[in-house]
Amino acid sequence: MLVLSRKLNQAIMIGDDVRIVVVSVDRDQVKLGIDAPRAIAVHRSEIYDEIQRQNREAATSMLEPGPVATPTTAQLRPGPAKFPGAKRPPKPLKPPT
Amino acid sequence: MNIQNTAAAPLLRTIDTTRFGEVSVPEDDVFTLKWGLPGFGFLREFVVLALEDQKPYLWLQSLERSDIALPLIDPWALFSDYDPQLPSVTAAVLEIERPEDFCLMCVCVVGPEAKELTVNLLAPLVFNLRLRIARQVMLEDSIYSIRTPIPRADEPAKEANSA
Repeated sequence: MLVLSRKLNQAIMIGDDVRIVVVSVDRDQVKLGIDAPRAIAVHRSEIYDEIQRQNREAATSMLEPGPVATPTTAQLRPGPAKFPGAKRPPKPLKPPT
Repeated sequence: MNIQNTAAAPLLRTIDTTRFGEVSVPEDDVFTLKWGLPGFGFLREFVVLALEDQKPYLWLQSLERSDIALPLIDPWALFSDYDPQLPSVTAAVLEIERPEDFCLMCVCVVGPEAKELTVNLLAPLVFNLRLRIARQVMLEDSIYSIRTPIPRADEPAKEANSA
């Protein structure tokens, strides 16, 4: 693992578009600011690890009764979920022409 | 010359699955999990399979690994009060423009002999039905649990946030 020392307000870059800044340090708590493209999901590791574990356990699931019929692809239908401001989704940035 | 995919003869893809044997699925029904699935980051292509005798559960079956399939359920089939606050960036990233473009499914763990029966309400899968792409999305500052017990048929229904 690469280990870097940083002081308050100093940053590191990961690749060309992820920037992590040390925002504050208070005893054993460090606050980090993260600038990343919105397609990159940023999560606390412990929650991400738990989702990984849940997915892996899900893949060992057994449903009763066992498969007796040939499965078909499910026809998924839109549900009641809404996005905040779903009427006007932010437009993707267009590269300069 | 290209072969045209017409409505009369949809392109079928035959996949080998550990659970269900050989399954033929229309090419158009394949979903790409462009950003991977946590725990299975190396897999991208999946289909959602339904078995008549396993309603309301569905299966997210990998096309690349015959043994990888995860049970899915429509969370509203379990909890009518489920109210996920999807991050607004999700709509942009998944290119969802209209409410009818997408649907949401949650991953279940069904333990041996159904001793564990839980559903992940914290990180639902969001499917763009138009572009056939999907992503597991973590809700931020949410009251929901990764392992919400699924009410059994012989138990009174609970509220989604009581876990």
